[in-house]
Amino acid sequence: MTIALVAIILAIGAGAVVAVSTREPAAAAIGLAIALVGSALVADPLPSAAILGVRIVAGLLAATLVRSAVGGSESQPSPLGWPAEAMLATAGAVAGIGVALALEALSGATGLAGGPDSGSEWLTVMALATGAGTSLLVLGAASSIHGRPGMRRAIGLVLVTQAVLLIRVGIAGPAIDLEEIARAALLVATAATGAALARAGATSE
Amino acid sequence: MSIAILAAVALATGLGTVFLEDRHRSLAFAFGVAGGVAVLGIALVMPPEESLAIGGGGIVGTPLVRSLAVTWSASLLMLALLELGIGARPAVVGPSLIGLSAASIALATSDPASSMAFLAAGGVAGVVIPGLSGWIDGPSSASRLPTTGRGALAILGSGLLALAVIAWSASAAGPLGSGGIFGQDEGSLLGTGLALLVMVAAVAIRCGLIPLHVWAARFMEGVSPLAVPAAFSWGAAAFILIALPSSQVLLGPTAVGDVERLLIIGLSVVSLVLGGLAAMVHDDIEHVLGYSILQDAGIAVLAFASLTPDAAAAARDWLVASATVKTAFAAWAAVVRSTYGGHRLADLGGWARHSPALGIAFAGIIVAAVGLPGTALFEARSDLISGALPGIGPIIALLVALMPLVYLGRIALAGIAPVTTAIAAGPSGRPRRSAGRATGWSEGSRVQAIRLVPADLRANRAPLMALGVVVLAAMALATSIGGAGGS
Repeated sequence: MTIALVAIILAIGAGAVVAVSTREPAAAAIGLAIALVGSALVADPLPSAAILGVRIVAGLLAATLVRSAVGGSESQPSPLGWPAEAMLATAGAVAGIGVALALEALSGATGLAGGPDSGSEWLTVMALATGAGTSLLVLGAASSIHGRPGMRRAIGLVLVTQAVLLIRVGIAGPAIDLEEIARAALLVATAATGAALARAGATSE
Repeated sequence: MSIAILAAVALATGLGTVFLEDRHRSLAFAFGVAGGVAVLGIALVMPPEESLAIGGGGIVGTPLVRSLAVTWSASLLMLALLELGIGARPAVVGPSLIGLSAASIALATSDPASSMAFLAAGGVAGVVIPGLSGWIDGPSSASRLPTTGRGALAILGSGLLALAVIAWSASAAGPLGSGGIFGQDEGSLLGTGLALLVMVAAVAIRCGLIPLHVWAARFMEGVSPLAVPAAFSWGAAAFILIALPSSQVLLGPTAVGDVERLLIIGLSVVSLVLGGLAAMVHDDIEHVLGYSILQDAGIAVLAFASLTPDAAAAARDWLVASATVKTAFAAWAAVVRSTYGGHRLADLGGWARHSPALGIAFAGIIVAAVGLPGTALFEARSDLISGALPGIGPIIALLVALMPLVYLGRIALAGIAPVTTAIAAGPSGRPRRSAGRATGWSEGSRVQAIRLVPADLRANRAPLMALGVVVLAAMALATSIGGAGGS
C-alpha cells in the first residue's frame, strides 16, 4: 500500500505544480483536480465509500468552480517556472516528511500509545500526508498572497486549504465523519471565494 | 435534531438568496425574509438542551446555542427588512443566513476541528458577498476588490490557523499525548503557551484587532453598515466562542504563563484603548461603529489571559450582548445614512429632533452599550477586565464602560442640536398617511384600504425603518440585561 500512496503523493505534487505554473487555465484546472482528488485518497485503509465520495466530489467541485470563474481569457503562469515550482514542492514534501518522522520518533521515545502511526514501515501514511500537505502549502502560499486577483490566486487559496487539511490528518490522525463533511464544505467554500474574486478581478480589467 | 434543521433551513435559504440576488432582487428578498422567519421560528421552539449523534461526533444543543440562534436570527430578520426599506442590493441577509447556519452547527458540534472548519466555511460569505456587492455599487473605488480579497484571506487564514492549533493539540505529540514530545516540564509549558498564542493570533486576525485591523477598517468603509454585524460582531463572536473552549479543553489553564498573559493582555489593551479613542475622535459614524466593534473584541480576548470557567462564562455573556448592541447600532447608522444621506456628525445636526423614533432607539442603544451595575453586559465586562488585571481592573473597567458614553454621546448631542438644512430636507421620521387615501379605514371599502397599503408603506418608509431600529434597540437592551441566557 505504501508504494501506491507514494505514487498518489507524487501525483498530488505534479498536479499542484501544473496548477500553479501552466499558462493554460484548462490545464491548471486539471492539475488542481488531480491534486485535490489525489488528496482524497491519502488514507490507509481507505475510508468508507460515502466519505470517499464526499472527498472526491468536493475536490472536483472546487476545481470546477475555479475553472468556471475565469473562462479562457486569463493567463497567469508562475513567474518562477515549473522547474522551480517542482523543486519547491519537493523541498516542502521532504521537510514535511522529516518533521512527521521526527515527531513520530519522539512520540515513540516518550512511550506514547497511538502515536501518529505506530506501523512498522518507516514511511507511514501520516508522514506521507504531512509531506503532501507541506508540499501544497509551499506551492499555494506564494500564489495566494502574491500577484493580482485571478485564477492563480484562487488556486493558491485552494491549495493552502487542502494543505492544512492534509497536515491536520498527518499530525492528528484520521478525521471523524462529521469533520469530513466540514472539511469538504471548507474546501468548496474556499474555491467559491477564490472563484468569485477571480471573476470580479477579470471583470475589472 | 432541531439544530440540524435550523442549520439546513438557514443554509438553503441563504444560498438561495445569494444565487437569486443578481437577477431577481425582489425574489431574493422574499426568500431571505422567509428564511429569516423560518429560522427564527425554529430557534424559538428549539429545546434548550438536546443532542444528536452524527458522523462519529455529536451535535449538542445548549442554552448558548439557542440564545445565539434566537438573537442572531431575530436581528438578521430585522436587518433584512431594513435592507428592503433602504432599497439596496440584498447583500446582507443571504450571507447572514449562511453564517448563522455554520455558526449554529459549529457551536453545537462536540469536535473542535469540525467546528472550526464549519465556521471558516460559513464565515467567508459574510465578507466576500457584501464586499463584492460594495465593489459593484462603487467600482470607482479601486481598493475595494483587494480589500475584499484580504478579508477573505483573513477569515480563511484565521480558521486554518486555528485548525492547525487544534490538530497539534489533539495529536499524540501535543499536550494531550501524555506530555507529548516535551514531557511534563518547561518544554511542555512552552509548547502549550505557543499554541495558545497562535490561537489568540488567529482570533486577532479574525476580529481585526489592532495592529491587524487594516483589512477590517477598509472593509467597513466599503460596505453597507448592515453587512458589518454578520461579518464582525456575530462572526467574530462565534469564532471566539469556539476558540475559547477549545483552548480551555485542549491546552488548559496551564498554557497561560506570565509571558503569554502579558502578551494577550497587551494585545487586548491596545485594541481596547486605541479602538475606544479612535471611536471617540472620528466624526464618521461608520468608523465609530467599526472601532467600537473592535474594542468589544479586544475585551473578549481578555478571557484567553486566564482560560478559567468564570472568564469563559463572562465572555459568553459579553459576546452575545455586545453583538446584539452593535447590530442595533449598525442598523441605526444604515437608516440614518439612507434617510438623511450624511454620515458625518457635522451633517447630522438635529437628527433625533427630526426622527424621534430613531432618537428613542439610540437612547436604548446607549443604555445597552454602557450597561448598569447588575446587568449581564456590565458585569461581564467588569469580570473580564478585573479577571485579567487584578488590582487596577475595576478602575479600568469603569473607564472602559465610560468610553461608549463618550463616542455614542457625541452622536446623541448632534441629534439634539438644531436641525440642519440637510436633515430638514430628508424625509420626516413621523408617520403620515399616503396622499391617495380619501377615506378612513372605517369609511372606505376593505379592498380600497388594502390597495393603499403599498402606498402607505412607501410614504412611511422612514418611520417604519426607525421602528425597526427601535425593535433592535429593545433586543439590545434585553441581551444587555440578560446576557447569553445562563449558558
